[in-house]
Amino acid sequence: MKDDDLLSAPSDQQYVSLERTASTYTPLATYNLPKGENRHYQQQYADMYFARLAQLKPAVEKLASEAWAEFEIAGETALRKDRVLDVRQGELCWVAGTVYMEMPLKPNVLEDIGKEHWIAAPPPRIKYDSGIGLGIMLEDESGRLRLTGGFLHECLLVTGAIVAVVGTENKDGDFEVLDLRVPDLPRQPVRWELEDGNGALNGKATQEVRPTAGKVAIVSGLAISGDEGDTLLLDLLLEYLLGECAEPSMQGDAAKVSRLIIAGNSLSNSSPIPTREEVVAASKKSGRKIYGYDSSSYNAAPTDRFDQWLAALLPSMPVTLLPGEQDPTSTSLPQPPIHAAMFPHARAYMSLPQAREDASWFDSTTNPAEFNVDGFRFLGTGGQPVDDVYKYISDCEERLEMMEAMLRWRLTAPTAPDTLWCYPFQDGDQFVMKECPHIFFVGNQPKFETAVIEGPVGQQVRLVAVPKFRDTGELVIVDVETLVPEVVKFEIFEEG
Amino acid sequence: MSANYSEWLAINVLNEEHLISYRSLSRALKVHSNLAKQMLYDFHRKQNAKRPGSVHATYLISGTKHAQAPQSNGYADHDGEDTAMQSSPPLPSSSMPQEENHEAERIVVRSMLLVKEEQLEQAKATFEAITGIHIYSLQAKGLSDIHSLTECNRKIAVDYASEDPLLGWKQYGTIQNPNVKRRSQKRQPPPPAPAPEVARPRPKPAAVERQASKDSQDSKTAAQPPPVKANPELNKRSLPRQSSEIFKSFAKGKSKDRKAESQSSAEASPALKPQDEPMADFSDEEADEHGEDIVEEVPKVTDGKSKSDREAELQAMMEQEDEIMQDAADAIPDKGASAEDDEDDAIDKPEAKTEDETKESVAVENGRRRGRRRVIKKKTVKDEDGYLVTREEPAWESYSEEEPAPKKVKVTPALPAVNIAKAAGGKKGGKPGQGNIMSFFSKK
Repeated sequence: MKDDDLLSAPSDQQYVSLERTASTYTPLATYNLPKGENRHYQQQYADMYFARLAQLKPAVEKLASEAWAEFEIAGETALRKDRVLDVRQGELCWVAGTVYMEMPLKPNVLEDIGKEHWIAAPPPRIKYDSGIGLGIMLEDESGRLRLTGGFLHECLLVTGAIVAVVGTENKDGDFEVLDLRVPDLPRQPVRWELEDGNGALNGKATQEVRPTAGKVAIVSGLAISGDEGDTLLLDLLLEYLLGECAEPSMQGDAAKVSRLIIAGNSLSNSSPIPTREEVVAASKKSGRKIYGYDSSSYNAAPTDRFDQWLAALLPSMPVTLLPGEQDPTSTSLPQPPIHAAMFPHARAYMSLPQAREDASWFDSTTNPAEFNVDGFRFLGTGGQPVDDVYKYISDCEERLEMMEAMLRWRLTAPTAPDTLWCYPFQDGDQFVMKECPHIFFVGNQPKFETAVIEGPVGQQVRLVAVPKFRDTGELVIVDVETLVPEVVKFEIFEEG
Repeated sequence: MSANYSEWLAINVLNEEHLISYRSLSRALKVHSNLAKQMLYDFHRKQNAKRPGSVHATYLISGTKHAQAPQSNGYADHDGEDTAMQSSPPLPSSSMPQEENHEAERIVVRSMLLVKEEQLEQAKATFEAITGIHIYSLQAKGLSDIHSLTECNRKIAVDYASEDPLLGWKQYGTIQNPNVKRRSQKRQPPPPAPAPEVARPRPKPAAVERQASKDSQDSKTAAQPPPVKANPELNKRSLPRQSSEIFKSFAKGKSKDRKAESQSSAEASPALKPQDEPMADFSDEEADEHGEDIVEEVPKVTDGKSKSDREAELQAMMEQEDEIMQDAADAIPDKGASAEDDEDDAIDKPEAKTEDETKESVAVENGRRRGRRRVIKKKTVKDEDGYLVTREEPAWESYSEEEPAPKKVKVTPALPAVNIAKAAGGKKGGKPGQGNIMSFFSKK
């Protein structure tokens, strides 16, 4: 049937229901926190930096020693120093360590306390950098070294990144940086590597012919608020994914979408922890504490709406749900999955926690999350790490650059724990990427952007910045075979 | 079924003035959504031919928009393109060159636009290519707020909630997924939480009662059965926060403790003076120091038993029951004074009376209390058969201690009403809950 036949009288034509492309899905437990008693919050965050440096130093030193083996200035070759304090004045050398950025506008716990005495709070900061007082240091277990030099202005650096720098210490005791290296992309698994490995372990023969993979839809920032009038786009999105609206050719496209990934902020304003300002406002207004259940202010409608929405979608397609900044789960990264109790209807599609043999049809996962879809490795976050990196870098709006930098630093959350809340990992920093993803998506970004970057040994990563659906009405659809994204935009025509 | 769609639409759109979307129609008539779209179109056309403007429609247009569409809120400018970047490994920053010469990969952007009938042409103009257009919904009068269309889907969710989506949705043209995994038995929403703390203590009041009745027999004092009966009720009600284990051991042990004490005190002071104060004293001392004594002693006792005499074990176990209770009973008041409050009710009355205040002298000076008090000490002796026997014996000891710690007072709010009642009406009514430790503290 032709597409424009929808504007014609009903005929005898029989419409058939389409069948959705299957999705092979393997969730990875990379960012799962220790369970129950094993989860502690007493540890010091310093251990995380030590662990991170220990994990990434070999990689960056390997690259640096290759690059700077021949590094020579005025007949002097650059020597390698093991510790930053071993650097001697006037000596050309290179050293690896953790970057620490001193920025006057970085959040400060003492300032937080002082806030209570402010008459008017300063406007929320978009960037930490005020232009003055910026200090970049290189740190390891021995001490700190202040970095300087014009070269640094071209570099994108944030606290927590592990880098190697070459240069000399000048008479002020600062290190003049001439060049810089980062760990760069880690090893990238071959497509289907994990699945084949698992299959081999279970004694199954490798599948020679795999079905052609479909597409994966990624959306973020649904921001269901329970307000009237913001859910029509959500309805359209649902109808599109279910293949009910639009013309048959569009429905055919929708049928190829084999999975929906929700990258954070599905709900609006339902973070369990109110900000200091909210607490003050709430206690002023009602004289009641905001913590705890307050039936007059608690609104179950957004959660309920979201649950219904998912329950309508799940019969037709599997869903992977990442929490975001505003979602009802822990606020520190890695965020644990949104609990099944929030989804009285949709949880019928979750597998029971005891039965772990298969991935859930509806997989409420962590943020960040790592999983394999149709053999390709996906790594995604709800957007907080990029948003935080953004604050470090002055005069830069290029979200893709930041995403690329994160990959090259091999850190999913480089600024944690300095300015981003995170769990105090003890044995190794979980945010260090051990394997390079094929697709790196970041939710809740201002606009859709995409790029492909390449690594030193031919790794190729597709970067996708997923816009907020609430603001843009955009759904990103990535073809899993080619890793080329496209956009479906839902709009309502307003007078204009 | 599809033949009578005109009738159905006439009733719902014209008469009832409902918003009808293609989805509501497909659900109501159990037809494919594409067919429903055509039905809407047909109805719209026929009705408006009869009476222009009688039925109002909204359309859904899909296609690609012009790159510089006015509605694209600044988006079309940059994000349609994909800069394929060549990475130069050295630097995160330098590896992201803005290579303008790189040919931009065109990202397909498709749009779905919902538009009211009167703006249809205007909306169509923003499209570069329209791949499809269909009627989204019909309504009798003009649609003031397009967002009210969301009501259609909400209604569907409510009206067809009982329908199994895996079976029923095929006929609506929903994309089917053969791989769907759903848990077979849908879990029912859990019944309202049955306030476990209230329910669980049930056995304990029974125990208290049993003990209490023994008490009243043993101590030949004027036991008052009605208050004893009333106790369990009070316990249940007033002890919602107490964990059941603690409560249990406490309740029993306490009663035993009482038994011992009431026995001795009954002899000691036959003249019964119903007063609050001694009771409070008694409770207080027990809470503060006595408990510690016993806690220290008991482990030794059990140790000695297991080490020294194997064959005595059986016998010892018989008694251990008592010891453990005692132990628990004494240890707990340290932690949860409130538990004691709740326990100190009418059962205590006999003991309260028997506790002679003249024998216990308490002097307060410089914030310290000094005095003599009677405590129950445990003595383990080997009897003539070689068995270990543990006996509880009242003993006097002098003590000096800080004024009651404020943290205990904190618990007071739990029972302010009882205190007040007591202060006012004395113990006339044999009120449960009297003689609690908190009355002592609050008076100081």
